[in-house]
Amino acid sequence: MKKPIVLLLLALVLLPIVVRPAIAAEIWIFAIFGLGLNLLLGYTGMLSFGQSTFFGSAAYVAGWLLKYYGINIFLALGIGVGVGAASAAMVGYLCVQRSGLYFIMLTFALNQLFYFIAYQWTSVTGGEDGMPGVPRPALLGIDFQDPLTYYAFISILFLVSLWLMKRIVESPLGKILQAIRENEVRAEAVGYNVPRFKLLAFVIGGAFSGLAGVLYAMLFGIVPLEAIGFAFSGNVLFATLIGGSGSLYGPVIGSFVFIVLSESVSTLWARWPLLLGLAFVIVVLFLRGGVVEAWSRFWSWRSLKQKI
Amino acid sequence: MLYALMGLGLSLITGVLNIPNFAHGALFAVGAYLLVSAANAIGNFWIALVVAPVGVALLGLAVEYVGIRRLYAAGHDYQLLFTFGLALILSESIILIWGPVGYSHLPPQILRGGLDLGFTFYPKYRLFVMVMAGLLVLATWLFLEKTRYGAIMRAGIENKEMVSLLGIDIQTLFTVAFALGAYLAGIAGALTVPIRGVNPGMGVDMLGIAFVVVALGGLGNLLGAIAAGLIIGIAQALVAAYWTEASTVVIYAVMAVVLLVRPQGLFGIR
Amino acid sequence: MAILKTENLTKAFGALRAVNGVSLDVEAGTLHSIIGPNGAGKTTLFNLLTGTFPPSSGSIHFDGRDITGTPAARIAHLGLARSYQRTTVFPAFSLLDNVWVAAFATGKSWKGLMWSKTERYTEVTERALKALADVGLADKALVPAREISHGEQRQLELAVALAAAPRVLLLDEPAAGLSPEETRKMVALVRALKGRYTIVLIEHKIDIIMSVSDRISVMYFGSLIAEGTPDEIQKNPEVRRAYLGGVPT
Repeated sequence: MKKPIVLLLLALVLLPIVVRPAIAAEIWIFAIFGLGLNLLLGYTGMLSFGQSTFFGSAAYVAGWLLKYYGINIFLALGIGVGVGAASAAMVGYLCVQRSGLYFIMLTFALNQLFYFIAYQWTSVTGGEDGMPGVPRPALLGIDFQDPLTYYAFISILFLVSLWLMKRIVESPLGKILQAIRENEVRAEAVGYNVPRFKLLAFVIGGAFSGLAGVLYAMLFGIVPLEAIGFAFSGNVLFATLIGGSGSLYGPVIGSFVFIVLSESVSTLWARWPLLLGLAFVIVVLFLRGGVVEAWSRFWSWRSLKQKI
Repeated sequence: MLYALMGLGLSLITGVLNIPNFAHGALFAVGAYLLVSAANAIGNFWIALVVAPVGVALLGLAVEYVGIRRLYAAGHDYQLLFTFGLALILSESIILIWGPVGYSHLPPQILRGGLDLGFTFYPKYRLFVMVMAGLLVLATWLFLEKTRYGAIMRAGIENKEMVSLLGIDIQTLFTVAFALGAYLAGIAGALTVPIRGVNPGMGVDMLGIAFVVVALGGLGNLLGAIAAGLIIGIAQALVAAYWTEASTVVIYAVMAVVLLVRPQGLFGIR
Repeated sequence: MAILKTENLTKAFGALRAVNGVSLDVEAGTLHSIIGPNGAGKTTLFNLLTGTFPPSSGSIHFDGRDITGTPAARIAHLGLARSYQRTTVFPAFSLLDNVWVAAFATGKSWKGLMWSKTERYTEVTERALKALADVGLADKALVPAREISHGEQRQLELAVALAAAPRVLLLDEPAAGLSPEETRKMVALVRALKGRYTIVLIEHKIDIIMSVSDRISVMYFGSLIAEGTPDEIQKNPEVRRAYLGGVPT
């Protein structure tokens, strides 16, 4: 599977030339976010509609510590991952006993809980105004204020995240989670404590979301309230589905599509969420399986045509 | 009471159609806005109150016909995305048509002012809403419990295959259930206008609460949704009296606590 | 000594006693069949044995230890594996992955669970391949499970149970929905497994029962109404009555 890696590296290098480094960085951050969700959605079959809980919590906590305690960047990342994982453990614990609609609703409702806490706790989070003034500390003398340098940093972290996710997905855990997706009853009968594994997947997904959250906070220098809101949860879901939840790289592609589209349209029209909603609807009605599957279907159709 | 209405409508939709309806809050908002426009256009609150929810029900019918019915086999992720997208479309359309600023609307002449209850003055309109919503819940409840079609619908929540095997058109059942759920959301929205006015964000807030009600009441458990709605409403009112800011958070916190202790909700079966 | 034993096992769903005071002794190394008309409670009994739900009363003993109330996920680790009446495998997985996942669960160690590539676990893969070979599906190891025939799926169903390297196999109608030819193959398979495992078999096809069983227990509306060797059961008038003459002479 060398081709995707080459394409990816090319994209990583060329992207900041094509779009602003900040947008390019946002794409990879969102891709990390999407990877986390897809472990739950694509691999384990759990539709978590509250991933922004972990993204936002990590952003707030790490942002707070960065701003008022001047912690170094590694610590910030570590805390982001930790907060993401811990909040996911809490939410997951409440949710994994349920499945189907119940599970979706619970993840959403708990997301709202966190959202409203953030909304009300204005002394800490700034409420609707968000938490501005998040610094981007230097590391070992490397100044990350320069957008390109920070972009490079994010690219590396993205590659690391991708590699980690690849390892997890190819490990026995990956198989077990997929088995749970395929047939939960049999997975249990065969000897796996399904709720515990679901919780584990949740925590890992939360850790990835947390990492994305911290990087996001440092990218824009602010933690907006939306970062913990359900719109964000919906966006990452859309990005993952449009890229294709059936593959490792799906969320990456979806992240591209989503960020590029949303960034370009949002500057044109204040009512762009309308188009976003339309996009959701269209994707669902016509483009199921996402871009990756449509692409592979296109290729198999082409090769079939060539044989004729 | 309004929460019970919303919970009932959502429980009906999720129970019968088995889809996560994230547009339920938006339907609520549409009902409210339609009331404002209808009341302004017709000049009569009462007629508008009848017309607006019907509009929402029609919208529900259209949505079900165009989109939702293609998604029954699709899987919750796509259903979610669809209803979520719909919610976005609706709420943004509201801003497009009615503007981003909220409105307030006075209750009709008869219901203005307060009623002397002896120990306190209570706004007449709120009493009216309580009674009206209560009647609606009762009416829906009677429909579901006492009529044949209602029984079919309840059976559909339990076991869809069985119902279709009995020769009943399951598609119509779904359509009716969705339209009914939409109607309930719409009228809840319409009723709420003189109390809190309208603003574009009202759908989102209500959506979360509706989900909490359904989660607490047990999925598909219609009576449970009603009871949970009442409990939540009372709890929120109590908290709001002492600690206003926390009133919304409390709803979610209560849900989290209850689910910790009883994962199936207050009235759920499993 | 009985490797698997139930004492007065009862499971009630409301007023319905699906399993009613069943006391069963299964001797190690034997093939013990459970027969009975539909609704007799046989699958419910299996569900109790595998911890799908706890009994209302009574106890279950495995290898001398009381395992009543053990949750389903732990049962496999104790050495009890089950195949299901309706094929319940992992459709998108290849046959190999199907058995691999089952073999890994009861493997010696889970070291490197999140880390090592699945290829590294040679011992697990060997056990998985052996399970496939035992049922005769080794040549289709890489085919997705949803693409094989119904008969092969029933074989896979059995292989997944074998992959756990159990001591006791609970087979729920392994020949369900199979053609006569496929049934013959299944019977041969079960017979081949007979020495190596203790087997508890639920089946409707009487010829299979009679030809492979060491002992037979007959259930009727939740209760055990008879138990004995195939010969004894054939001659038992109660059994005949329960089956309304379905048991051949």
